[in-house]
Amino acid sequence: MITVEHLSKKFGDLVVLKDITIEINKGEVISIIGPSGTGKSTFLRCLNLLDRPSSGSISIDGVNILEAKADVPKVRQKMNMVFQSFNLFSHLSVLENLTIGPIKLRAMNKQEAEQKALNLLKLVGLAEKADNYPDELSGGQKQRVAIARCLAMDPEIILFDEPTSALDPTMVSEVLSVIRRLAKEGMTMAIVTHEMDFARDVSNRVLYMDEGLIYEEGTPQQIFENPRKEKTRAFINRIRSCNYQISSPDYDLYAMNAEIEAFCEKQILPRKTRHNLLLLVEELLQLYNPFLRTMPLDLTLSYSEKKESLELVCESKGEAVNPLAHNLLPDELGLIIINNLAASIAYSRVNDTNRVIVLMKKS
Amino acid sequence: MDMQTRKETNATVVTINGRLDAVTAPEYEKKLNELIAGAEAGFVVDFDQLDYISSAGLRVLLATAKKLKGKGGQIRFANVKGPVKEVFDISGFGSIFQMEDSVEAALAKISA
Repeated sequence: MITVEHLSKKFGDLVVLKDITIEINKGEVISIIGPSGTGKSTFLRCLNLLDRPSSGSISIDGVNILEAKADVPKVRQKMNMVFQSFNLFSHLSVLENLTIGPIKLRAMNKQEAEQKALNLLKLVGLAEKADNYPDELSGGQKQRVAIARCLAMDPEIILFDEPTSALDPTMVSEVLSVIRRLAKEGMTMAIVTHEMDFARDVSNRVLYMDEGLIYEEGTPQQIFENPRKEKTRAFINRIRSCNYQISSPDYDLYAMNAEIEAFCEKQILPRKTRHNLLLLVEELLQLYNPFLRTMPLDLTLSYSEKKESLELVCESKGEAVNPLAHNLLPDELGLIIINNLAASIAYSRVNDTNRVIVLMKKS
Repeated sequence: MDMQTRKETNATVVTINGRLDAVTAPEYEKKLNELIAGAEAGFVVDFDQLDYISSAGLRVLLATAKKLKGKGGQIRFANVKGPVKEVFDISGFGSIFQMEDSVEAALAKISA
């Protein structure tokens, strides 16, 4: 239905979209997720030519819509868009908002357009608001009107650009339920959203965008439960991390503690968790100490907001050695403490690197 | 490191503050060794002001206790609580050392 190849978009020197290639098939519901500022909305705006792509091609049913002779208004009718901020005409009634497009652009007669508009307002549960003006509606109602207005043009695909981002949380569900209904009825849709549960439920396919690319795509199950790539995992699990390089046995423990405390402060971790984390790091460093002079330690601390879990990854390049299995200290006190604080400890050798992953017990 | 000592009739009360970790443990060990070398044989260590202890700190306590035992001395701990108590428990120290709820109770045990 829609084929996008090597699409890029620059604003001056700023490259927002680098190289997007994707096919959207009829009846598909595609959710586009990813951090802010990674080009998701720009991608949608390029699809229906609100922003002109810098290079690449977009074909609908085999016709390249980027060619000079392309009928842009016709393209936008086929590929209509619902915006974050509704974009309703405030000087027109709800009914007029729905009929102006069909009457002006599709030469539909007024009576037919009004009948269709009323049917669509019923579909989104707002038939009784036909004569109201947008300012008299709640945010959720405005967005439902915007969806109905979009449907009034009989689009082949609807592009949703963060349709619930501007809504009060209490109004999100009423809009999402309308979109869910459209999905059930087989409407082709591309939805930029931050509503992860919704994206997981409603989509056939999920695109994770990052760095101006479709960084990873897959079924909702694959993307949400088993993302293959690191940035996707970090986004899905809402992971925040910080990294420390320790290359001398005379490392500054207190400077490191201060950084860990600041990290914990940002994640609003409980006092006990902070205490246990500082203890775990100190004990690990004690075990790594004899190796630090020849094998610097790269320590990454990650917190998954979604799983509420803390993970420490200790990596050291050089000879194959697991410092937790080669305790050079006079006793096993440190190991006992580590084992008590950890839910799991795993050693692996990856190329020339020793990797120990410690998942902290929840405190 | 912040360590205070006071002499009671039957023992020396050692109060440790803040952190007993890899950074402060060597200094604590040095001070405790000096006290033992000064013919002190009875010790009560007051943990009331201690916020944090790691295995490095536990080793100092263990080494001190061993030295005292070798000299026929005694050591009792008082006010081990909160996160410090948890580290004592997970490392098994809770069952190795005699711990009392107050300095007075620890002193009483030493004189017993």
